Amino acid sequence: MIPLAVHSHHSLMWGTASWMKICRRARHLGYTGLAMADTDSLSGLWQFLEACRCHDLRPIIGATLTDPRTAGHRVVCLAMDENGYTNLCRLLTRRHRQAGFCLPDELAAGGKRLYLLTTDPDLLARLHTAGLKVAAMTERPLTAGHSLRRMAAALEVPLVAAAETFFPEAEDHLLHRLLRAIDCRGCLQRPETRQVASSRAWLAAPDDWERRFAGLPQALAASDMIAEQISFRGPDFGLVMPPWNDRDSRTAHRVLRQAAFAGARRRYGNRLPPAVVQRLQHELEIIAGMKFSSCFLVVRDIVAHSPRTCGRGSAAASLVAYCLGITNVCPLRHNLYFGRFLNPGRKDPPDIDVDFAWDERDRVIAAVLGQYGNRAAMVSSRIVFQPRMAIRETARAFGLPDAEIGKVTGRLPRFRRSYFAESRLPEALREEGQWRGPALGRTWDRILNLAWRLIGTPRHLAVHPGGVVLTPRAVSDYVPVQTAAKGVPMIQWDKDDAEEAGLVKIDLLGNRSLAVIRDTVANLKANGKKFAENRWRPEEDQATAGAIATGRTMGCFYIESPAMRLLLQKAGRGDFEHLVALSSIIRPAANEFVRRYLRRLHGEPWQPVHPLLEKVLAETFGVMVYQEDVARVARALAGFTDAEADALRKIMARKDRRRHLADFRQRFWAGARAGQVAEDVIGRVWEMMLSFSGYSFCKAHSASYARVSFQAAFLKVHHPAEFMAAVITNGGGFYTTAAYVSEARRMGLAVAAPDVNSSVAAWTGRGMTLQAGLATVRGLAAETCGRILAARQERPFSHLEDFLERTNPSESEARALADAGALDSLAPGQDRAVIFWRLARWLQKRKNSSGQLRLFGTAARQPVRVPRLPPDDPLNLYRRQFAVLGFLCDRHPISFFRKRLERFRPIAACRLADYTGRRVNLAGWLVTGKLVRTKGGDPMQFLSFEDETGLFETVFFPKTYARFSHMLDCARPYLLTGRVRQDMKAVCLEVERIARLGRQ
Amino acid sequence: MERAIVHLNVADFAVAVERVVDRRLAGRPVIVAPPAAARAPVYDMSDEAYRAGVRKRMPLARALRLCPEACLRPPRPELYQRAMDDLLRRALDFSPLVEPGPADGHLFVDLTGTSRLLGPPVDAAWKLRRRARNELGLDPIWTLATNKLVAKVASRLVKPAGEYIVAAGDEEAFLAPLPLHLLPGLKAGDLERLARLNLTRAGQVAGLTADQLRVAVGSRADLIAAAAKGLDAEPVLPAGRHTEKVSAGHVFAGDTNCPGKIKAALLEMVQEAGHRLRSGKLAAGGLTLVVAHSDGVRCIRRKRCRPESANDFDLFELACQVLELAWTRRVRVRSLHLVCWKLRPLSVTLPLFAAERRQVLRRRNLVAALDRIRSRFGSRAVCFGRTPAKAS
Repeated sequence: MIPLAVHSHHSLMWGTASWMKICRRARHLGYTGLAMADTDSLSGLWQFLEACRCHDLRPIIGATLTDPRTAGHRVVCLAMDENGYTNLCRLLTRRHRQAGFCLPDELAAGGKRLYLLTTDPDLLARLHTAGLKVAAMTERPLTAGHSLRRMAAALEVPLVAAAETFFPEAEDHLLHRLLRAIDCRGCLQRPETRQVASSRAWLAAPDDWERRFAGLPQALAASDMIAEQISFRGPDFGLVMPPWNDRDSRTAHRVLRQAAFAGARRRYGNRLPPAVVQRLQHELEIIAGMKFSSCFLVVRDIVAHSPRTCGRGSAAASLVAYCLGITNVCPLRHNLYFGRFLNPGRKDPPDIDVDFAWDERDRVIAAVLGQYGNRAAMVSSRIVFQPRMAIRETARAFGLPDAEIGKVTGRLPRFRRSYFAESRLPEALREEGQWRGPALGRTWDRILNLAWRLIGTPRHLAVHPGGVVLTPRAVSDYVPVQTAAKGVPMIQWDKDDAEEAGLVKIDLLGNRSLAVIRDTVANLKANGKKFAENRWRPEEDQATAGAIATGRTMGCFYIESPAMRLLLQKAGRGDFEHLVALSSIIRPAANEFVRRYLRRLHGEPWQPVHPLLEKVLAETFGVMVYQEDVARVARALAGFTDAEADALRKIMARKDRRRHLADFRQRFWAGARAGQVAEDVIGRVWEMMLSFSGYSFCKAHSASYARVSFQAAFLKVHHPAEFMAAVITNGGGFYTTAAYVSEARRMGLAVAAPDVNSSVAAWTGRGMTLQAGLATVRGLAAETCGRILAARQERPFSHLEDFLERTNPSESEARALADAGALDSLAPGQDRAVIFWRLARWLQKRKNSSGQLRLFGTAARQPVRVPRLPPDDPLNLYRRQFAVLGFLCDRHPISFFRKRLERFRPIAACRLADYTGRRVNLAGWLVTGKLVRTKGGDPMQFLSFEDETGLFETVFFPKTYARFSHMLDCARPYLLTGRVRQDMKAVCLEVERIARLGRQ
Repeated sequence: MERAIVHLNVADFAVAVERVVDRRLAGRPVIVAPPAAARAPVYDMSDEAYRAGVRKRMPLARALRLCPEACLRPPRPELYQRAMDDLLRRALDFSPLVEPGPADGHLFVDLTGTSRLLGPPVDAAWKLRRRARNELGLDPIWTLATNKLVAKVASRLVKPAGEYIVAAGDEEAFLAPLPLHLLPGLKAGDLERLARLNLTRAGQVAGLTADQLRVAVGSRADLIAAAAKGLDAEPVLPAGRHTEKVSAGHVFAGDTNCPGKIKAALLEMVQEAGHRLRSGKLAAGGLTLVVAHSDGVRCIRRKRCRPESANDFDLFELACQVLELAWTRRVRVRSLHLVCWKLRPLSVTLPLFAAERRQVLRRRNLVAALDRIRSRFGSRAVCFGRTPAKAS
C-alpha cells in the first residue's frame, strides 16, 4: 500500500506539515513510498525528494489539479516519466495563467504520461475516453452499486484505495482548522464546514487501510500496482544555461572572448599588462569548459540597461566580469580569488548578482522579461509564518481585536525562529526579558502554543525581488509558472530550489545607495557644480579616509550601522583594503576573531596557527576574514580538492548547516591529521571556520561594496547637504528620517521645513541648507504633490488663497501642509492660527460654491473678516510639526525635556569620551537597537541613542536588559545612567538604569 | 418665567451604591467590573482608582495593574437601578419634572415655579441633597442654573464633590474662562478645529460672530455658539413616560466567539423581553439586535416579526435569524442588545388552519406555564437547557 495523494504544507493554507515531517511519519508507519499531491503546485518538489532520500522512501511526483470554475473537480496527477513531468508543469502553468481553464479539456489535451486519479465517475469516463491512464480513487470501500465502482468496472480501470491527506496525525486537525480560519478570515470557533478538510484526512497507517478495505482488497493492491507503473523519480536537468542566439551564428564563447578583451582594453589601455592577459585566458578557459559563456553575455546585456550598477557576490572576483562592465572592482589590484566564483569541480550553478538603483530595477526586470518572453520568469520567495505573523493571525482567528493583538505583538522582542526551536512559544517568550510584564492569561497561552506550531508554514508565494531564471526552452517545461501579484511570471520554486534544479539564476537587485549617489550627483549638477564621475577616485581622498577611520559614516552604504561605525573607530583605518576586510569580518559569531584582528592590526605580534596557513592568511593577520578563506584553509591544511573545499564553504555559510557539517568535520580532521597537523591546531582552525555561521562575505563582494561605500563617504564629506538630501529621499537606510535629520544638524546643516513655493517632492541640498521635500509631509497624496509642482511651474504661488485655488487640496492635506510649516511663506508674519482661519474660510467658500445656486440673488458675499485670534503656542506648533513630519526642523525634540532634566545634571553626548570610566547621567532619544545573545544564551541589547549634540552607543548587559527591556520603545526620550567605557577609541555607555521621559 | 434647573449627580454612581451596601469600601479605591475574566471591561471606578489611571471600559487586567490595591466588585445593574429609582422617588417629591439618566446617578429636576411651595430653588436643592444623603447614603453633587447645559457644566466643574449655583444672567460669564471640552455636545472634531485657531475657552468662542464661527466649525456653529454662551432651551423630560420599545441587554463577562454562549445569552434576553411584553399585554412587530464587538464596532440588524408575537419561541427563532445577519465579523462579541419594536396590543386571535393553530396553542400554553412557574417560584425555577442556571 502506498499513499497516492498526500498533501504537505505546500498545499498552501490546507496542509499542515513539511515533507520532512510527513516522510518521517510515513516511514514510521511502515510505508515504502509516497506520492506528493499538493494542490496545483510543485513548489515542494525538492523538499519532497530530499525528505524521501533521508527516510529511504520511494518518491512519486504529482500534484492535485483543480478546476477554478467548479470547486468539486479535483484530479490527482502523477508523473509517470520525464514527459509526464513536463506535461504536469505545463498543465499547472496553464491552471495558474490561463483564463477559462477547463480541467477536463486541458487534461484530455495535455495529460499524456500522467496517471490520473479521480473520485468523479463522469470525469473518469471523460479522461478514459481521451485515452489517458486513469484510476478511480476512493477513501472507503464502495458498495457494488456505487456509481464510481460501476464506472471503474465498466471502463476496466482500477479502483484504488487512496484519500487526499492534509495532515500527518489525527490531532493536527486543529492546526488545519486554524489555517483554514486564517485563510478564510474566519474564526476558529465558527468554521465554514465547506472550507475545512474532514477530520479523517490524516495519514492513516497501512493497517488502518487494510482494516478499512478488508472487503475490497483489490483496491489496496491497485495502489501498489499504480506505483509500480510509475518509473519517474524526479527531474534531472543538469545545468540549465540561459539561451544564446547570435545573428552571425558565432558561439557564445567566441563572442565572450572578443567582448572580454575589448573591455580589458577599455579598462587597462590598449597595451594589456601580461597579468591581465594571463588571468583573462585562465578565466575564459574555465568559463568555456563549464559552458558558462552565454550567462556572462546575457548579464552584460542586462547591465547595459543602466549606467550605474554594482556587481555583487563572488562574480566580482572575475576579471571577465570586470572587463564586461558587470563589476567595478579590479580583481587583480585587490587580489580577488576567481576560484570562489568558478572552478572546474563546481557542480552547482554560480549566481551572478547585479545591483541597480532601487527605483530602476523594476524597469530593468520588465525589459529582460519582455526580451526573453516565455523563456524568462522570476524566482519566487516562500513567505512563511514568522513568529509575529503567526501570533497575530492566530489571535485574529481567536477573535481578538487588532488593538489588543497590537499591544501584545508590540511587546514581542525581535526574536529569531531558532531561539524557539526547542521550546514552546509562551515559555520561550517568558525567557525574554520583555515578557516579565503582566501575565497574558489562558487565551493567550493557547494562542501562543498554537501559533508556535504555525511558525515556518508557508503562507503564500511572493515574487523574489530580483531573481530571474532564463532557460533555453519555455520555463514551464522545467517548472510550473504562475503569475505574481504584480503581474510578472514567477516559477513555483524559490532560489534554493532553482539552484537544486540546476537553473541559473541572475539576481537583479535594488540598491538604495546607488540611487543616493545618482541623486547626489544630479543635485550637484542642478546646483551648477561640476562633477566628473569618470575621473572620480574616492578611495584616494584623504578626507574621506579620515571620516571612515573615525566612523563618521551615518548614511553611507554598508558602513553606517552602529556596530560597523564602532568597528571603524576601533580599527582607526580608512583605506580601501582595510575597509574591505572590516566589512567582511563583522559577523555575529566572530567577536573574538574581530578583537584578535584589531589587536594585530594595531601592532600585536602574531604567529600563524600553522605554517601551512602563513601565506593563505597573511593578508588578514592570520585571521580568517573572507568566506573563501574557509575553502583555502581546507585545501591547504586538510588537502581538500577545489570542489570539496567549495562545498565546505557553502555549508559553512548556510544557516541550517548543522545537519551537513558532521561529515565535513570528519573529513577535515582526517585530512589535517594525515598532514601531521597537531590536534589543538586543527581544533582552533575548525573553531575559526565555525564563526562563519550563516553570515560571511567573499572578498570580491566586500570589495565591490566597499567601492560604493567610498563613493558615498566621499559625497558625505565634500557635499554634505546634497548627500543627506539624497539619503533621506531614498529612504530605506539603517536609521529613521528623524535620525538623519539630527545627523544633518550635527553636521552643521540648516534644515528648512517643506515649502510649497520652494520644495520639490524630494529633499534637496544647496550649500549648507537641507530643504525638506513635500513628499515628506504625511497625508499629502502623491497626486496633490504633483499638482502643486505643476501649478508652481506656471508661476509661484502669491498668497495662500492663490495656492489653494490652483492646487485644490483636500482639507486634511491642506492642514498637514500648514502643520508642517509648508504654507508659512504664503502668509508672512501671520500666526499659524490665521493661516488655519484663512484655510477654513476657503474651504467654506469651496463647499458653498460647489453645490446648488443660491435662492436669493447671486451677489458675491463679503469675505468674513479674520477675528482676533489668540497668539500661537510654540509648543503646539512643534507638536503638530512632529506629527506630520516625524521630526522637528530646527531643534531636537529632546530639547523640550531639558528643564525637567536639570536636576539630574546629564552630560552632553558629544563629551562622553571625557568621562571614560565614570558613572554619568545622559538624556537620549532611542534611535535604533540590536538584540544579541551572550555565549550562555542570555539576551542583551546594543542600542543607539542621540541627544542634540551627538549619537552615542550603549550596551544593555543581560541583567539590565532583563530589568528594563519592557520599557524600551523607539523614538522616545530616556534618562540613562551608566558607566562610560572606552575600547580602542570607541566609546560606549554601559547602562545601569533607564527611566522614560515624558508621558507614559 | 426664570427657569430653575437642578442637576443632581452622584459621582461614580455604581461605586457610591456599592459603598452604601458595604461601608468598608469607603475611602478605598474600588473598581466595579465582572471578575470572571481578565479582559472584562471596567464598568465604573472610584475617584481614587481614577486618579491611579483606571478608566471606564478599560480591560480589568490593565486596570488592576494600574491600581493593584483596588477592591473589586462585580457590577449589579439591578441594584443600581433600584438606587436610581429611590433617588428618583425623592426627587419627584420636589417636582413632577424629573429627568433621570440610565442608572448612572444623573438627575435633572425642574424647580421652575415651585418657590411658593418649596421655598427658593437653592433651598429645595439643598433639601433634596440632604434627603439623598440621610435616607440613601448617597452624597450627590448638586448644581443650580437656568438650563440643563449650564447646570451640567457646573457639575463637571465641581466633580467629584460640592455644589454650584449659576445665577440667572451669569451663564456666559460663568462659562467664559472654562475650557471648551467641559461643554456638552462638542465633538472631538469641533475641539480640534477650534484648537487650530487657538480657541480653547468658551469665552473666546462666544466672542466670535455667527459668520466667523460658521467659518471655523461649519454647520455646527449655532449649536456651539449656544453652548459657549450657555443658552439651552431643552426641557426637562419627565420620567416614566410610556415606552415605545422593550429591550434587554447582555454583557459577556469575557468577550466571546462561542456560538453556544452567544445563543444562550440571546435566549435569556428573548425570555426577559418576552416576559416584559406579556406582562404589558404587548406583542413585538419587529426585533433589532445590536452586536457590539471587542474593538468597539457595533453591527445592528433588524427584522419584522409577522405576525406580531410575544411568544419566546417565535421571538427566539426570529432573533436567531437577526443574529445570523448581525454576527458576521470574526472579532469577539462583547455585548448583545435586543430591542422589540412596533409594539401592539397582544392579539388572542388564532391562525385559521388547524396544524398551525395547534402549534401556536402548544407554544402559547407552554410559555404560559413557564410564566406561572416563574411567578410562583422565581425566575430561575425553570429554564431552557441552552441557558445555564445562574447562581442566585
